[in-house]
Amino acid sequence: MKEELLELLKSARIEIEGVIKEADLLNLKSKLLGKNSKLSELMTELKNMSLEDKRAFGKMINDLKYDIEQMIQAKFNKLNAKDFLEFDNTLPVELGNGSLHPVTIASKEVTDILKQMGFIILDGPEMESEYYNFEALNIPKNHPARDMQDTFYLDNGLILRTHTSTNQVHGMEKYGAPIRLCAPGRCFRNENIDHSHDNTFFQIEGMVIDKDVSIGNLIYVMKELLNHVFKKEVDVRLRPGFFPFVEPGFELDCSCLICNGKGCPTCKNTGWIELCPCGMIHPNVLKMSGINPDEYNGFAFGMGLTRLAMMKNKINDIRVLNSGDLRKLERFNIK
Amino acid sequence: MKISCNKLKSYINNSEKIDWLSIWDTFTIRVAEVEGIELKGRGYENIVVGEIIEALPHPKKDKYNILKVDNGKKHLSILCGAPNCKKGMKVALVNVGGKVNDFEISEKEIAGVLSQGMLLSASELGIGDDHSGIIELPNDYVVGTNLKEILPLEDIIVEIDNKSLTNRPDLWGHYGIAREIAAITKQELKQIEIEEITNDKKDLNIKIFNENCNRYLGLKIDNIKENKSPLAMQIFLSYVGMRSLSLLVDLTNYVMLELGTPMHAFDSTNIDKIEIDVAHNNDTFITLDGIERTLSKDYLMIKNNDEYYAIAGVMGGLNSEVEENTSSIILESASFDATSVRKTATSLGLRTEASTRFEKSLDPNLNEIATKRFVKLLRDIDSNIQIVSNLTDVYPNKQNTIKLKLTKEKLTRYLGVTISDDEVKKILESLEFSLTVKKDYYEVIVPTFRATKDIEIEEDLIEEIARIYGYENINIEPLRVNLEAKMEEKDYDLSYELKKYLATKFSLNEVHTYLWNNTNLLKKLEVLENNVKVLGRVEDNVLRDDLLYSLVDVSIENAKYKNKFGIFEIGTVIKDNENYQDLGIMLINDDKYIKEAYFELKRIVLSIFKDFKNINVELLPIKLDTIYHEPLSLGIFINGEEIGSLGVIEKTIIKKKSILYAKIDFAKFSKIEKLDTIYEELSKYPSVTLDYTLVVPKDYNYQKVKEIIDKFNSPIFQKYEFVGLFETELDIKYTFRYTVGSYDHTLTSEELEEFKNLFIKYNKEHKINILE
Repeated sequence: MKEELLELLKSARIEIEGVIKEADLLNLKSKLLGKNSKLSELMTELKNMSLEDKRAFGKMINDLKYDIEQMIQAKFNKLNAKDFLEFDNTLPVELGNGSLHPVTIASKEVTDILKQMGFIILDGPEMESEYYNFEALNIPKNHPARDMQDTFYLDNGLILRTHTSTNQVHGMEKYGAPIRLCAPGRCFRNENIDHSHDNTFFQIEGMVIDKDVSIGNLIYVMKELLNHVFKKEVDVRLRPGFFPFVEPGFELDCSCLICNGKGCPTCKNTGWIELCPCGMIHPNVLKMSGINPDEYNGFAFGMGLTRLAMMKNKINDIRVLNSGDLRKLERFNIK
Repeated sequence: MKISCNKLKSYINNSEKIDWLSIWDTFTIRVAEVEGIELKGRGYENIVVGEIIEALPHPKKDKYNILKVDNGKKHLSILCGAPNCKKGMKVALVNVGGKVNDFEISEKEIAGVLSQGMLLSASELGIGDDHSGIIELPNDYVVGTNLKEILPLEDIIVEIDNKSLTNRPDLWGHYGIAREIAAITKQELKQIEIEEITNDKKDLNIKIFNENCNRYLGLKIDNIKENKSPLAMQIFLSYVGMRSLSLLVDLTNYVMLELGTPMHAFDSTNIDKIEIDVAHNNDTFITLDGIERTLSKDYLMIKNNDEYYAIAGVMGGLNSEVEENTSSIILESASFDATSVRKTATSLGLRTEASTRFEKSLDPNLNEIATKRFVKLLRDIDSNIQIVSNLTDVYPNKQNTIKLKLTKEKLTRYLGVTISDDEVKKILESLEFSLTVKKDYYEVIVPTFRATKDIEIEEDLIEEIARIYGYENINIEPLRVNLEAKMEEKDYDLSYELKKYLATKFSLNEVHTYLWNNTNLLKKLEVLENNVKVLGRVEDNVLRDDLLYSLVDVSIENAKYKNKFGIFEIGTVIKDNENYQDLGIMLINDDKYIKEAYFELKRIVLSIFKDFKNINVELLPIKLDTIYHEPLSLGIFINGEEIGSLGVIEKTIIKKKSILYAKIDFAKFSKIEKLDTIYEELSKYPSVTLDYTLVVPKDYNYQKVKEIIDKFNSPIFQKYEFVGLFETELDIKYTFRYTVGSYDHTLTSEELEEFKNLFIKYNKEHKINILE
């Protein structure tokens, strides 16, 4: 019987090899493994054997059956393989050419970092009242910042906000203290447009109000933020700066990203670049929005998002940003 | 503002202990921003006092003299073309081998004459702009002496950013800067030298009629003989960027540069009375620069009846100008309201050294010191002057003393470190604050030169202490962990996700455009603008109520380079005096691809709602603005509420191209509740698909066919899909694939047959034939 089985395997192999069509393979399968197959015939012979032979030959038959099945499956896969395919796979492909605005990308990066530090994101109106833009921020009536040459006044008595600091007031009114918020947004100043000035630009405001907030907290948050924004360790320093809605007020400098503080033309050899005004929130500002300055204090900062996007992407002309010129803008990939 | 280190040194004891180059780095982080440092006099060497012994005209060269000049060692032969050279004159002589602005002087023959040196003009020496002749040195200068030993030719000039001084009226003069340097370096500031004036004469007739004059001090000085400023003063003025004119004018400027408070000297000849009041509208007045100015009733003037002498705080008048032969002056040192001066200067377009300073709110108490300082300086130069009036002081708006309480707890809270009482006292006193240490707080009296607007509250004192202590010495501390649940503001994230979706899924490009419409574009499109306007602008001054025209504007430009593109913006629009956020999407394509573009836009709009909110919006015909082609206009509706629209611009704005535009009210979009997906179990029994082709009359559009078949009801109906359409001359053939089945049994052939019959019958009733 053993010889018969070996013979069977051998002839099956040859037959399977010889098949060219899928249909022939199915016929062959039923011939080799079906009810009337030789294998089936051998199976019935098992009945008449001794228990010992039954065990030995039974296993041999099963193995043979398995082998044939495998050979048929292999042949089947081979017949169905896409090995006939042949084409020029070096042809180019078209990539989607969608893009996000560089300021949108920069804004997302900054807000992502601030969110991780527990800041919520606020969005305020671009057309504002003088109260939110000036009065509530301790900028008095006769302050030069309120002159026509700096601010767009509208014929309905409102103005276009000159900074995102308006959102400090909205944030305090809406949520009270304690609070951590940031507010990216578009601002407007009545300036002549040139390669480094536009009358429409983006800032991001940040504000923290809590009990016992220190200047050291402000430095920590700014340094942490800038380390992540620029993806490297930067130094920061504070200089005195005057802004009516903070006291003390600072200008925050960051070590020059080009020379790492050694001095180069970008930082005019000082090793520092001026990055953003900030300071401890003026008690009048807290008071006007209903927060008790004896109980709470805090800090705020306003960073130029437009400038940040320009620095990060090495855009040397601010006018590109509001031009809508896709030749320049469509290169900014989606993050 | 330019600052001379020589001048600063003169106010500080032990000034040699200070490194006058590196101190400015510290100054930047303690006080104000330094823009640049310039070393003066470095390129000038071997310049000595010479004396012209002999001056003979050159025989051939007109206007030239052949000079014999004594340099203290020998007599040199020098050819000189200066018109003012004469025998006996003391001159600034560069010896052979010496340097002028880094240029080395050598011995050479010029026009047949051996020239063994060079005589310098003020301009050549870099101490002024006069190059009309050589400098005439005072007669008492000793021949041969190196000029640098006598004159302050070497100096360090520091430029400080004016913007960083806007809130520090005390820093608009050298003395104020010196006070800061002394505080930073812990050196002692000297008192400024003045001449006391005894009031035993008559008061001048000075009357203030307007509240914008805080104080007016007048003093009459006679018998002034000198009219030329000493060379050292000329050099100082030139180095800090002012021209030397005449002694009296120079002195007013000099005192201003020292103390920061502007002064004015009037020729007293015709002035017997001084009134401070506003001008009459439309009066004219010629200022010192020779320009006739039209006045207004908002300008504060120095005047006498109807004769004006000066625009207060801005500029004096030509009629009372001090001239070379002026021997009697009325000296003004006054204090005017900052806003009034700023408005006057702005309105005149005339910002002067004086107005720039007055705008900062100057301390009226400086007026008295400035006057006494002027007298002291003038007397040093011209000892025979006579004070012929009382120091007349009209002081209606007294500068209040500010007394503040600074709690120690607050100081510690801000700084994050505790500073000792002793150190706090030292810092504040070095800035001339006086202070009493109490148990829990300090009682601080603010000096008047800081009290005009700069220091008002406790926090201002914290700044003074912190900056001198050094911000870099403050410990950096993380914020406390805030375990409160955060309030969420979703709009920002949604807007970012939506932008990213449009860019990645539909390859659209985000743009930013201005808040106002382009006036020229709207004119071309014959669109009438009626919305909020920006004041003071004649063009591009109407705020947009739709992103449409902003995007059209951008598209016109881009169409010059691209055949087909899609842009979007989420931006503010103003409607009914309110802020709104719109999403605008614009597709541009060739006219021949309009249909494809239209369905692409429709796909984008429907996908946005499906993917972000899991809802199917309705697109229904709508009448939009006349700029749209009406048959293709659709409104976007959710439960009957309009949330946006899409359409095609009817006008050809870009040649051979179509502009398609969709807009969605972003705030409404943001507020839509996202529907949860409910799992639906599939039937265990097989379903059957049946393809039907509906032959419909030509005037039926898809919407109409859909409305008809949507109303067909059958218990075994599950869904249908639109497969396609085929248009013939007679009719339109729509093919639909129906799926029928049951949840509780396998359909029988009778059931199927019944469905078919009913479906065919139903459609017949609506004039639709069915091809199976």
